[in-house]
Amino acid sequence: MTPFDIGLIALAAMFVTVLAGLFVPVALMLCSFLGVWAIKGSPVLASKLMALAANDSISSYFFGVVPLFVLMGFIVAEAGLGRDAFDVANAMFRRLRGGLGVGTVGANAIFAAITGISIASAAVFTKIAVPQMIRHGYAPRFAVGVVAGSSVLGMMIPPSLLLILYGILTEQSIGDLFIAGIGPGLLLAVFFAAGIVLMAIFTPGFVGRPEGAPEALPPRALLAKGLPIAALITLVLGGIYGGLFTPVEAGAVGAIGALLIGVALRRLTWAGLWRVLVDTGLVTATVCFLIIAAQMYSRMLALSGVPAGLGAWAAGADLGFWGLMILYVLIVIALGMILDSSSIMLILVPLMLPVVVPMGVDLVWFGIVTVLAVEIGLLTPPFGISVYVIKATLDDPAITLAEIFKGAAPFALIMLVVLALIIVFPVIAIGLVPGR
Amino acid sequence: MRLFLAGCLRGLDGITQGLNVLGSVLILLLMVLVGVDVAGRNLMGAPVAGVPELVTLSIVAIVFLQIPQALRSGRLTRSDALPLWLARTRPALGRWLETLFDLISMAVVWVIVATTWPIFTRAWERGEFIGAMGDFTAPTWPVKLTILVGGTMLTLQFAARILRRWLDLAGTKEVA
Repeated sequence: MTPFDIGLIALAAMFVTVLAGLFVPVALMLCSFLGVWAIKGSPVLASKLMALAANDSISSYFFGVVPLFVLMGFIVAEAGLGRDAFDVANAMFRRLRGGLGVGTVGANAIFAAITGISIASAAVFTKIAVPQMIRHGYAPRFAVGVVAGSSVLGMMIPPSLLLILYGILTEQSIGDLFIAGIGPGLLLAVFFAAGIVLMAIFTPGFVGRPEGAPEALPPRALLAKGLPIAALITLVLGGIYGGLFTPVEAGAVGAIGALLIGVALRRLTWAGLWRVLVDTGLVTATVCFLIIAAQMYSRMLALSGVPAGLGAWAAGADLGFWGLMILYVLIVIALGMILDSSSIMLILVPLMLPVVVPMGVDLVWFGIVTVLAVEIGLLTPPFGISVYVIKATLDDPAITLAEIFKGAAPFALIMLVVLALIIVFPVIAIGLVPGR
Repeated sequence: MRLFLAGCLRGLDGITQGLNVLGSVLILLLMVLVGVDVAGRNLMGAPVAGVPELVTLSIVAIVFLQIPQALRSGRLTRSDALPLWLARTRPALGRWLETLFDLISMAVVWVIVATTWPIFTRAWERGEFIGAMGDFTAPTWPVKLTILVGGTMLTLQFAARILRRWLDLAGTKEVA
């Protein structure tokens, strides 16, 4: 057996074991260990490769910021800034048909600019927006669908943990990736909002019968709610692009900023803060452990020559650019049904890089396409992490997982449309990036 | 015997939680450290020495200190469609499959721990450090130690899953 064959078998074995329910990091580690053993014929060498990856692969300044970005997202949520964003957005859209739904999207877009993870958005707005929408006559299924759909904005609008991860994997500038995320993120928000208004008008059976707009906010209250968020956005994004700190450091600055705002508004308790800290630790450990495993796996794949072989095959198969992109998006979405977003990116991107780089593909644009495609998977059954978070946060047996998935389906479709637009018109993503 | 085992599991959970607390405190320190560095650089024109090195070291420690608790609280990533289906339709088969998975996980993690041991002893004996002499240096052995401790606890937590699964079957109440 050639190393190439072994690599392919290891790839297949990984998919099978993951589908069977083995913990994803363990499946990746197991396949890399056995793969290297088979390729090099030495279990000692294989175990050395694993230990080295465990010791070195996340030992860098860039990975140090993963917990800080997660912490920032959770503190922002704990400080009640999500509710403020919701109130502000509702005041803006209260006269629209389906205004609360549009307000939720708007609030998510604002919230996304101060947090970098979708699950924070999903958890926050399940608590705030869903009860409000149901109270105003929206169908529960639609209410949770809106929250699930708009929570993906958290990963698209900078700062974004997934874009950071992609930047590390592909050695692209994280600052450029952040800028490239703005256009697609806003486009997505606009399409979501338009979709909600259209659905409210044409498919009232799905949306429910919204009645009575939420009360208008007096300008002073609006200012009091809007100002802290505006300050935090200015601090984080202004600091990055004003050259005060790197995108990497923005997580720490943002977390400190959110902490100070929370304390100033008297909204943070010691117990709440501690819970947030523990949660941050668990999310960090899970994501980084996965990264370690994915590093072992991509080192094994590199040894086997599968990525290079795949690149040669793609070049020879004459799929062309479009065929390749369509195939890629399909694979990402299919994987999104069984895996979480960081796993997919860590597994696929190292495999795809040698394929797309010779084609002269802009890697910043490719990152945006990848993240958006991955995020569609967040909404598709059976494994849609956003939907699971909503279900867990909701704690209401009347709304089943299947209901949430159904409610989210139109939003997954809208994302697909936006993804197609970005693929056809790359300028949406990279138009703002300097030097492209 | 069963009581003794239950006590062991409680102790294991206690230690796991302790490591978790340690990791959370490290995250808080990390935040303060980077914040002080940014503030020092911009306000006083003086960056804090060694911040990149400390961040680099502590992220590894944070992950390995918390991963046992992540497993214990059901956060470790997996696709649970098949296991859930098996648990519903073929519970016995499902239990055996889960046990097989836990055994594989124990073996895989143990390989990492065992191979990290020589890396740790070398770092300890030679006093390996990170950073530049005369500016800022930090020893690397404490991080290697957290990999050993965290990996060992992770292995034990996988073993605990097996114990809980089959003890539960025997009718103990001591199951979370």
